[in-house]
Amino acid sequence: MFTRTVRPALNVARAAQQQSQGMATLREIEQRLKSVRNIEKITKSMKVVASTKLTRAERAMREAKKYGAANNELFKHTEIEKSEEAPKILYVGISSDGGLCGGIHSSISRAVKKAMAEQPGTLAVVGDKPKSQLSRAMPQAFKVTFNAVGKDVPTFAEASAIADEIVKNGGEWDEIKIISNKYLSAISYESGVTSVISAKALQAAAGFQAYEMEEDVSKDLAEFALANAIYTALVEGHAAEISARRTAMENASNNANDMMASLQLQYNRGRQAVITNELIDIITGASAL
Amino acid sequence: MFASRLSSSLRALPRQASAVRMARRGYAEAAGADGKLQLSLVLPHQSLYSSAGVIQVNLPAATGDMGVLANHVASVEALRAGVVEVIEENGQAGKKWFVSSGFATVHGNNTLTINAVEAYPLDNFSAENIRSGLADANRVLSSSAPESEKAEARIEVEVFEGLQAALAK
Repeated sequence: MFTRTVRPALNVARAAQQQSQGMATLREIEQRLKSVRNIEKITKSMKVVASTKLTRAERAMREAKKYGAANNELFKHTEIEKSEEAPKILYVGISSDGGLCGGIHSSISRAVKKAMAEQPGTLAVVGDKPKSQLSRAMPQAFKVTFNAVGKDVPTFAEASAIADEIVKNGGEWDEIKIISNKYLSAISYESGVTSVISAKALQAAAGFQAYEMEEDVSKDLAEFALANAIYTALVEGHAAEISARRTAMENASNNANDMMASLQLQYNRGRQAVITNELIDIITGASAL
Repeated sequence: MFASRLSSSLRALPRQASAVRMARRGYAEAAGADGKLQLSLVLPHQSLYSSAGVIQVNLPAATGDMGVLANHVASVEALRAGVVEVIEENGQAGKKWFVSSGFATVHGNNTLTINAVEAYPLDNFSAENIRSGLADANRVLSSSAPESEKAEARIEVEVFEGLQAALAK
């Protein structure tokens, strides 16, 4: 119906048909109205589901953040030695497979591309959506990918399975940079980078020597720290995704409501025009008698 | 009547003075002023202690059971499946949790952080289930399963035996 008002030139040839097809265009508007109404119902229910999931995700995130902070205590006190050669970096992009969540996945892909441009390295990706976005840009950098994560609040078991796989098949690295979305508030998020150092770098770090150890636990510690960091990033990213989905569905519902209002007005105008035309026909016919 | 009112107000004063003294604690002395070890015992889904002052913590380190008091030397210990006991106040009985595994780190500034994967109070466990779990794990060990499954079964046996020992105490 917009075409008829915005591009009248194209429809001049069909002007004659339009009068007789007054009812058909009305039916089109009616159908459009019905489909937008259905879409609005779907997006509104998706928004409600996301709101309820958000409370659970936020609670899990608060506990996971304390867990991650305790994990980082040790690394705050140890400084990494700066080596002469460029360190080998493995980037781990953390997102999920689900769509309809606004710019969550693009935020991760953009951050990964930016980081790879500054310091190239290898790539591990959690989630089908960022995987498809990044495999177009840098297919050769991929080491290992994961999916079926993020449907529910992530568990530590999932995080350790991911860490285990990265250690087995991720190749060699000096440092791991985890790129995930940080939850800033219920309506905003931002991508951030968390660094996890390898066992070798940990052993060489100055502050680490100050800690007494009866046996060398640096390898186990590094792997445990990796699993902890991945867990924290997964849970926070999950909370950010749920809140983004809630916002996106709320915007979609509002847009659908606006469309329904303008469609309804157009439908009424069309209906009144048809009635007016019929009246004119009747009256001119009657006056001709 | 007047005497009693005077004495009651006199009794109130010392309490207020000590409150004022405690409020003036500086950042650096937060740990040292009350001499307590700052414990952070955290699980992935729950934090049991978050920078809380405690007297003593007993840990099941992989290299042997150890106790950590305030101002312990900095060290990193891997934990095996066993009981972590936290004594919050002098003379109180310690609170016990069975921990599956994790890491304990004592930092130089009188803080102890324990990242444990799972921890549950001892009364959450049923001896029946432990016995049947241990029997299943031993069965896998003595069967002709692949090495990876046997390694998992070995870990299970370690955890169940630790649980039995903890419950027996």
